[in-house]
Amino acid sequence: MSNCARCQQPMHDSPLICAACGAVQSVAGIDYFQVFGLKRAFALDTVAVEREFHRLSRRLHPDRFARGSETDRQNSLAATALLNDAWRVLRDPVERVEYLLKIEGHAVGEEHAGKGKSAEREPPPDLLEEVFDLNMQLEEIRMSQRMGESAEASTMTEIAAAGKRFEAMLGEVDAALQAEGAKWDAGDAATRAQAAKKMIELLDRRRYVRNLVRDVRAAVTAQALQQELYGGNFVAESL
Amino acid sequence: MAYSDKVVDHYNNPRNVGTLDKSSEEVGTGLVGAPECGDVMRLQIRVNPETQVIEEAKFKTFGCGSAIASSSLATEWVKGKTVAEALEIRNTDIVKELALPPVKIHCSVLAEDAIRAAIGDWKKKNGVAETEAVAAH
Ligand code: FES
Ligand SMILES: [Zn+2]
Repeated sequence: MSNCARCQQPMHDSPLICAACGAVQSVAGIDYFQVFGLKRAFALDTVAVEREFHRLSRRLHPDRFARGSETDRQNSLAATALLNDAWRVLRDPVERVEYLLKIEGHAVGEEHAGKGKSAEREPPPDLLEEVFDLNMQLEEIRMSQRMGESAEASTMTEIAAAGKRFEAMLGEVDAALQAEGAKWDAGDAATRAQAAKKMIELLDRRRYVRNLVRDVRAAVTAQALQQELYGGNFVAESL
Repeated sequence: MAYSDKVVDHYNNPRNVGTLDKSSEEVGTGLVGAPECGDVMRLQIRVNPETQVIEEAKFKTFGCGSAIASSSLATEWVKGKTVAEALEIRNTDIVKELALPPVKIHCSVLAEDAIRAAIGDWKKKNGVAETEAVAAH
């Protein structure tokens, strides 16, 4: 724990604000976990953190420092921005994983860019093939939708079923991420290295699945809208 | 982030979008994905068995504008080249030609991967050893 830059009292909870004198501190070098006075971990008590987020938001609010010194005002602006970023990232389970892996020094997502891919970053070929084929179907659906026609009912049924399958897959990936996260939280260095590697693979795989789920949802929504607009309901009901 | 004129041009008028017959002996198919974003790309080549010249190339990309432009450009570049020549295309060439920003470099990597995968598939089909192409350099 550090000490308050103003009153020198030791800091508890969040290093952003001194509980003793209320001075907002410099944000330099504070990570998103530290913002909330937490150790780095994949598991997070989001209810408690949300409560802490609201409490800190009030305490750090720039309005409270409007008549403070220049340093106070700057610190409060910076601290508020950091607090918002921290909450936005940590509340999202996937963004949290990516963030924690990154600050632990792992290359995640974009940071691999251009470095060439290792073989283990390749998804299973059958997943790739399936994603590609479904994208072809989705494109056909979008094309007919753009022309103001509803896509074939059978095609829609097929794609909706695929969407369900991929949503289930997404759920599996997320559960696996959580399990690896728990291993990391409880493990020694070797366990952590292994869990991190696993999580990076899972995240890679997740992006293909996530895109497909997103695109299927969009197509299904567009179809429903179109049927409402053009009276395709009749077709749907006569099935 | 603004796309360069060349990216916009390829994006609006992609060259060689389409499909070649996957089962043909002369066709190599490369299907690749970018784990960074989950985009997928298929690039196909038709190789003249006598000359080993790539006479036709088609692509289909489900991804960002830079990936579409990179694969469009890749098909233009491989056409008329021999298989060995096509293997020398580097993603950095694509980056330069399209003026891709750093966050879009992986899109060009995807195109290079696709060329390699297509050629690899064609070689496998035709029993060409990997070493032969290396020796041809
Ligand atoms: S953003 Fe991933 S291929 Fe372009
Ligand atoms: Zn203090």
